[in-house]
Amino acid sequence: MKNLLFPALLLASVSSLAATPPDTTATKPAAGTRPERRWYRPKHLALQTGGGLGMVAAGAGYEFAKNRLETDILIGYVPKYYAGSTLSLASLKFMYSPFRLPLGEKFQLVPLTVGGYFSYTHGTLNDELKGQYSADYYWFSTDTRYGPLLGSRVTFLAPAIAATGQPRKISFYYELGSNDLYVASYLTNRNGGLGVGQLLTLALGLKADF
Amino acid sequence: MFSVTNWRRWARVLPGAAMALAGCNLIEFSPNDHRVPEEFANLTEKNLAKLKARPLAAGDTLRFIFTGDSQQFYDEAEALVASVNQQPGIAFLAVAGDISDFGLAREMQWVDEKLRRLKVPYVTVIGNHDLVGNGRPTYRHIFGAFNYSFVYGDTKFTMVDTNGREYNFDGTAPDMDWLRPQLRNLDGARRQVVICHVPPNNDDFDPALRAPYVQAMREAPGLVFQMNGHNHSYRIGQPFNDGVTYVNSDAFSERHYMVITVWGDKQFRIKRVAF
Repeated sequence: MKNLLFPALLLASVSSLAATPPDTTATKPAAGTRPERRWYRPKHLALQTGGGLGMVAAGAGYEFAKNRLETDILIGYVPKYYAGSTLSLASLKFMYSPFRLPLGEKFQLVPLTVGGYFSYTHGTLNDELKGQYSADYYWFSTDTRYGPLLGSRVTFLAPAIAATGQPRKISFYYELGSNDLYVASYLTNRNGGLGVGQLLTLALGLKADF
Repeated sequence: MFSVTNWRRWARVLPGAAMALAGCNLIEFSPNDHRVPEEFANLTEKNLAKLKARPLAAGDTLRFIFTGDSQQFYDEAEALVASVNQQPGIAFLAVAGDISDFGLAREMQWVDEKLRRLKVPYVTVIGNHDLVGNGRPTYRHIFGAFNYSFVYGDTKFTMVDTNGREYNFDGTAPDMDWLRPQLRNLDGARRQVVICHVPPNNDDFDPALRAPYVQAMREAPGLVFQMNGHNHSYRIGQPFNDGVTYVNSDAFSERHYMVITVWGDKQFRIKRVAF
């Protein structure tokens, strides 16, 4: 029960935090001027569940090309109860969102996000000791996964931070995805042995500018 | 801000929402997690219960299907099920390991989705591919024990994990301390059959346990034969020239299975069927 509550509470607590102005530790510039963003400072924070990247995965991301291209870096966690060992996942997501549709003054719809991810899982039980197998005994990697993503999101355009004038967005997103091993299983069964629906995973998440 | 009453309302809603999320198979935490709907958990126990519900009278001839290595062959699994469902007088189907290719829960679920359409129950033994990554807890959750035995009609079946390489040849697989008493005691049956994945004359069998295992087979009372998978090729022989017959299964990919008929003290007939 505790395990089930944890992700939902975390999601709820972060969303409530995101709704109040963030407490920045950066030095505050004079009112009305935009602060110079340092190149390494992420554009947004992200929190998600599922998608094969963790029961909870949190991280930060950068946006390029007028916010149409994004890269998110996430650290995910799966408790032992669900996987037999505690898993930590490091993931890198790349996304392209070509369109944005206004929904009234406060909301925006991003109808299509396409992309892909790489993930590395730490903590799997039997992931090859030195000399355990001959080369290419198993052709696949136990810990490294990659796969496609397809999703969309709704963005809430929050009032700009009064002190800096910096606009803010809070988005809820979902992503349907899969991974290399599921896709490989599909491709070797061309007579309908597996359906596309059987390969899918779902991720639900939040992104907030910061 | 949240008021106290708001919090109370959230406190009522959130556990339900969390349960719905955690129960949703689509929201996969990791391909290595083993959350599956209840209907896909404890399959060995469920299949043995189904088998028990269709008992074989003492003295009756036993007929079952033997195959192995279903890994990633879902098209073939469909064809196999259609063919096996045409066979008369079958008690059950046995899969000699490598249910999955990557030790993942979804694969084991996909295979069960095919094999549950059989008119008869099926039983499995764990294979090396089922032990990759977090395959150990996954197989345990979805199927059950790695080593187990059951009596059906006059025959005792002992299923044993022989995938030594997956344990880096640490002397635990096969678990001889579990296996020896199983082989000595027929639990009231007249004869016995041992089913495993990696055969003792294979490089993936723990070399330190090869001689003890082969000796245990030789000394097992009423042993009809030892059956295994792993090689993906049909073979029946006595590789150790000690009077013990070893039966190697076809893989699903070979589009063949065996119809095994057993009667008397340890008489048997094996028919190979293409599908």
